[in-house]
Amino acid sequence: MNRVVRAFAKRLFGMLIVLLIVATLVFIIVRVTPGDPAAVMLGSDATPADIAQLRERLGLNAPLIVQYGQFMLGLLKGDLGHSIFLNQSVGQALLARAEPTFFLTLFSILIASAIALPVGILSAVKRGTIFDQIVVTLTMVAASVPSFWLGLILIQVFAVQLGWFPASGYGGPATPFVDRLGHLVLPAVALGVVNSALITRFTRAAMLDVLGDDYVRTARAKGANERRVVLKHAFRNALVPIITVIGLSIAMLVAGAVVTETVFGLPGVGNLVVSAVLRRDYPVIQGTLLVVAAIYVLINFIVDMLYVVADPRVRL
Amino acid sequence: MKKSALTTSTIALIAGLAGTALADPGEGILTVATIGEPPTLDAMQTPTDIVLTIDQHIFETLFTYDAAWRSVPLLAADMPEISEDGLTYRIPLREGVKFHDGSDFDSADVVASLERWMKINSKGKEVAEIVESLTADGDNVVVFKLISRYAPLLATISQAAIILPSEKIGDELTEFVGTGPYLLKERKPDQYTQLVRFEDYKSPKGEVSNYAGKREAIAKEIHFVPVPDANTRVEGLISGQFDFADSLPVSAYERVEASDNAKPVIFENSGWASMNMNMQEGPLTNKQLRQAVQLALDPNDMMLAAFGDERFFSVDGSIFPEGYIWHTEEGVARYDEADPEGAAKMLSDAGYDGTPIRLLTSRQYEFHYKIGEVAKAYLEAAGFKVDLQVVDWATLTERRADPGKWDIFITHSNFPGDPTTINTINDNYPGWYVSDQKAQAVGTYMEATSDEDKIAAWAGIQTAIYDDAPLFKVGNFNGVSGVANTVSGYEPTYWPHFWNVTPTE
Repeated sequence: MNRVVRAFAKRLFGMLIVLLIVATLVFIIVRVTPGDPAAVMLGSDATPADIAQLRERLGLNAPLIVQYGQFMLGLLKGDLGHSIFLNQSVGQALLARAEPTFFLTLFSILIASAIALPVGILSAVKRGTIFDQIVVTLTMVAASVPSFWLGLILIQVFAVQLGWFPASGYGGPATPFVDRLGHLVLPAVALGVVNSALITRFTRAAMLDVLGDDYVRTARAKGANERRVVLKHAFRNALVPIITVIGLSIAMLVAGAVVTETVFGLPGVGNLVVSAVLRRDYPVIQGTLLVVAAIYVLINFIVDMLYVVADPRVRL
Repeated sequence: MKKSALTTSTIALIAGLAGTALADPGEGILTVATIGEPPTLDAMQTPTDIVLTIDQHIFETLFTYDAAWRSVPLLAADMPEISEDGLTYRIPLREGVKFHDGSDFDSADVVASLERWMKINSKGKEVAEIVESLTADGDNVVVFKLISRYAPLLATISQAAIILPSEKIGDELTEFVGTGPYLLKERKPDQYTQLVRFEDYKSPKGEVSNYAGKREAIAKEIHFVPVPDANTRVEGLISGQFDFADSLPVSAYERVEASDNAKPVIFENSGWASMNMNMQEGPLTNKQLRQAVQLALDPNDMMLAAFGDERFFSVDGSIFPEGYIWHTEEGVARYDEADPEGAAKMLSDAGYDGTPIRLLTSRQYEFHYKIGEVAKAYLEAAGFKVDLQVVDWATLTERRADPGKWDIFITHSNFPGDPTTINTINDNYPGWYVSDQKAQAVGTYMEATSDEDKIAAWAGIQTAIYDDAPLFKVGNFNGVSGVANTVSGYEPTYWPHFWNVTPTE
């Protein structure tokens, strides 16, 4: 037990170090990037004097080390800072955008897994057949398709031509929760299909690795039916790389559905980052990237935990 | 919910017959796709186009612009009485106007609002320098006393000088309460800004002309939805999700026109593109080189590359386009010459030493980038060495503030209500256009009190601008937006507005 606690504490310490490095790097990168939030905020009519005045008010003229100290002190208190543009704290801004990003990630990964797992398993089982060759070709094509392009095609067909789903946004003031989720169907399909390609290929490769192993042959020799051999013996043992790629896909979706959110006008975390970068809203960029990094690290941690569940031979 | 076409037509007919009487308010909702999220709703602090577009429904100013961009009364009851020396403006205010919080609008609100405007707004600060006092004379009159004559006063207070309830005024606005036809109900950044009809709205009277005249809040609600991707705005409009989509790419014009759900709308002369030159540092401090830049360039090619089709732009040397009282050919020189050979001779005469011209442009506005590409070709044909620097807009705005970092930057502007509010004329605007003949011409303008005198004085300023060559005017461009076929009564304006607009099923 002590060993597990020690391993857990060690991993937690590692996560904190990673986040500290991320926070510092993000702070530096944001500050060395050209562009002034005060100039963006005031528009093209602003005179240098106006900009200087606003910079002073926003605390942007303070020495960088002082700004860094304030940022880190705020983090220790759980305060990610206050948005220059949104008139709300970074925490509030993130919370307001968590819902679409969370459900978009969830639906995308469900769609991707629902396609990838059966297709990948079947493709491995039917290795070398026409079905397998079609799957290999299609996954290569799907992996090459940018999700935003697929998104535009889906908008064209299902929003413009058929009118089944809204083209963009996340609903208006009186839109019920279920209808809001309806806005996520097209972007979730776009992301799900693209992500399914990678997961399918990993599933197929992992299954091929184990299907040739001795214990699978033994199971078959003992007369176990093929379904049981594939799903219980082979799939269970192929799970570690599959969990890894699904975990990575989730992490990338949380952090990286930026273009898809922009194309579909979804007010999610990706959209928040893009607009914050364009406006040079330093606190939002810093806070959001830090939270995304934390989620990324956390998902990796959970994936590591799942290895133990999937394969008892794995030790922390 | 939207109401039937029959009901709408009836309402429109009754409203038309009744003259200034308000139409029967409807239950329709207008969903407007905008180019992005406004950074704030405080137009005094940040008078950008997206802020002003939304704000004009919530807040009102003392004066606004009619179709010729003259300032006419909005919250003012009439045009001001101006003293003979041109130093005192006595402005009567409309009575019976209420703010969204139910309080009455009066002169104390105007004084408090304009004082805040003069404190924090860039144009307001310029006005503050020539204002001796701003006082209330009773509940329904305010009096400006000026230190010196200031011809653009009315035009300047017609834009971002929004009137707020005095008790809500602070350095930071926390409540957005105005007198406009719509009140702010909810704002979810990056999702929507929800405005609802202000039932106690008191409309100004008169024929509708640009932003002036009768205002009726026919739609029950307006939802401004930020949709930064232009193609998504197009698809959302065509699919029927939006009633209006702002700033569409010109390439989408035919597609919208061919759709069953919407039609494209062109707003002529929505703005002008310019190349501003650095008069403080670098090779272009030499006037002859700036004039060589003007001579070398071909505005037709530049605008065609930028906008693709002559329906969407016009090439005109007058800084203001036709239709404006400020339109004049006076002083126009070295425009539309496209003469790289002539420019090469000027370079030689000026002793150009081959120092690269740093041309700053941005892809955030794709037409800026295309203009930059064509300009580079023409300038190189004339013998300039050109270093085209493509950066994002935030970087450009920072870099152009430093005279050591650029020689030309590309930008665009709208046509303001008063010509002296053109940015370039300001001594402190990047480019730092300081010249005796400009100062003299602007001085003459400031002394003018009648439109005729102002128009004559503006011709003098334009002449100085062309001679001093602080910028190259590229051309005028038209704005393209789209409106759903189910919507009636929409009239295109620079900042699209949706009072007097009827949404139907």
